[in-house]
Amino acid sequence: MRFPSRKVFMKDWMVTSLFLLLSLVLVGYFVYVCIGWNVIVSLSDWKGLTPSYNIAGFDQYLSLFHDQVFLTSLKNNLILILLFVPGSLFLGLFLAILLDLKVRGEGAFRSIYLLPFALSFVITATLWAWMYNLDVGVINTLLEKIGLGFLRPMWVADPNIAMYCVVLALIWQFSGYTMLIFLGGIRSIPESQIRAAEVDGASGFDLYRYVVIPQLKAPALSAFIVLMVFALKAFDFIYILTGGGPGWSTYVLALMMFKETFRKNQFAYGGAIATILFLLALVIVVPYLYLSFRREKE
Amino acid sequence: MRFPKLGRVTLYILLIFFIFAFLLPLWTCITTSFKTLKGVIDTTPVEPPLGPLFRLPYPTMEPLITAFNIMKRSLLNSFTFTVAAMILSCLLGSINGYILTKITFKGSNTVFLFFTIGIFIPYQAVLVPLVLTMSKLGLYNHLGGLILTHTAYGIPITTLLFRNFYGLIPNSLIMAAKTDGAGTWTIYRRIVLPLSLPPFVVAAVFQFTSIWNDFLFGVVLTRGQNQPASVVLANLKGTTTVMWNLLMGGTLWYALPVLVIYLVLGKYLMRGYMAGAVKG
Repeated sequence: MRFPSRKVFMKDWMVTSLFLLLSLVLVGYFVYVCIGWNVIVSLSDWKGLTPSYNIAGFDQYLSLFHDQVFLTSLKNNLILILLFVPGSLFLGLFLAILLDLKVRGEGAFRSIYLLPFALSFVITATLWAWMYNLDVGVINTLLEKIGLGFLRPMWVADPNIAMYCVVLALIWQFSGYTMLIFLGGIRSIPESQIRAAEVDGASGFDLYRYVVIPQLKAPALSAFIVLMVFALKAFDFIYILTGGGPGWSTYVLALMMFKETFRKNQFAYGGAIATILFLLALVIVVPYLYLSFRREKE
Repeated sequence: MRFPKLGRVTLYILLIFFIFAFLLPLWTCITTSFKTLKGVIDTTPVEPPLGPLFRLPYPTMEPLITAFNIMKRSLLNSFTFTVAAMILSCLLGSINGYILTKITFKGSNTVFLFFTIGIFIPYQAVLVPLVLTMSKLGLYNHLGGLILTHTAYGIPITTLLFRNFYGLIPNSLIMAAKTDGAGTWTIYRRIVLPLSLPPFVVAAVFQFTSIWNDFLFGVVLTRGQNQPASVVLANLKGTTTVMWNLLMGGTLWYALPVLVIYLVLGKYLMRGYMAGAVKG
């Protein structure tokens, strides 16, 4: 056996740890230091283009809760959580079950359903602006063709339904993703279990209801977390499709933060919204990470 | 035959209905980008401009050419910083994944958690400090700033992807090399890296698509000439409300690289989505 010289060994260890150190510094600075810095901004009185770090305490946070726009944004994030999250989960599960029924050309169907998820929000938002356009847009033109032209809904131009139009388009974009996760979950159930259930007389709907779906808790949870975090931080899609309008009807927290900070230069105010957004994300993610780390240890 | 009661015909009708639903926006994007403005008004969006033989207008390349001229600079920008940040974040992620699985040290779980949280944070929570930092570094409105940003925020997910894969390399292989006198870096270079083509492809397509698709960092860190394609397209949408053919042409150009990757390497992208979703 040839023993390594101590010098070579040390040099090797140094190179490796230098790379780890570089990653730690980058993530440490750009994630943790920046979040901390943003919290400090949120506690200041910084307005306008020159930074100001005079402590104003929780003033920004307090005024947020009297701000109608903030409350509307909060409500719209809640709509995303209550409609977009379950909508994507159910449609994804439905598609996964359909594709599990020994479909010919399953790969092609799967690829097409997942395609919107691979595209940029800038693309999907532009596409849906075209879908929802009032005069020459896709949906209204098609409605006219089938004789329902009198309906001519205003879609994203109608403040009463604009947010639901956003939800519909987002479900379109995300359900391919949930389908993929569920399909992976279904495929990892041992064939023998399915056989055993079939021998016991379970078939069709019952087989899914009592045997397959109960075993999809883990994929359902991970998809749920991804969707929840998205429901909180959704920005690009809405910003480009509606810009938050008409009025404030499609404002969400991330969009309000962006406009307050980068359009109105209300840095402290925007910082407070960002901090709230971060804390809400932690509430969702930390228990989940705790659970999955504990499971990994076992 | 798991589902005898549901007729096969109904099943395929449903599946094909969803194909239409999922492809309708993209299909009308393609048809519209080949139409003149008059053609956009005279035909329904679903009709492709096949020419008078089908009682439809002639196709035109005009919108696609105009859109390309508006977007070419930004497409090149996007390509430059996307490829650079993709390579850097994959390399760093690979080394991290290796260290976290094969050189277990005290606190390696904490380090992993430290990275993992970075996957989930809403970027709004770092935007203002990020812009200030980039101006201090002289990297505001500079492609270097976007490379640094996308590399830093890419490390958490690439670390996760590589860690999942390296967990599958048997430890005995590493131990054997160790007893032969190889140090940690040598083991990485000579043993781990040559086995890493699959995770590199997965991480690379994942990073390419997510960096290429980004809008938020591009819009706050650049202006004018240095803007990425996502921002230029969004601006185009904001300024032209009636030129739908031009806008759809621009959309098509910006979507093209991701569409090509999806067609050729979609399998790996799916693996990335699935691995990323195991934990995040």
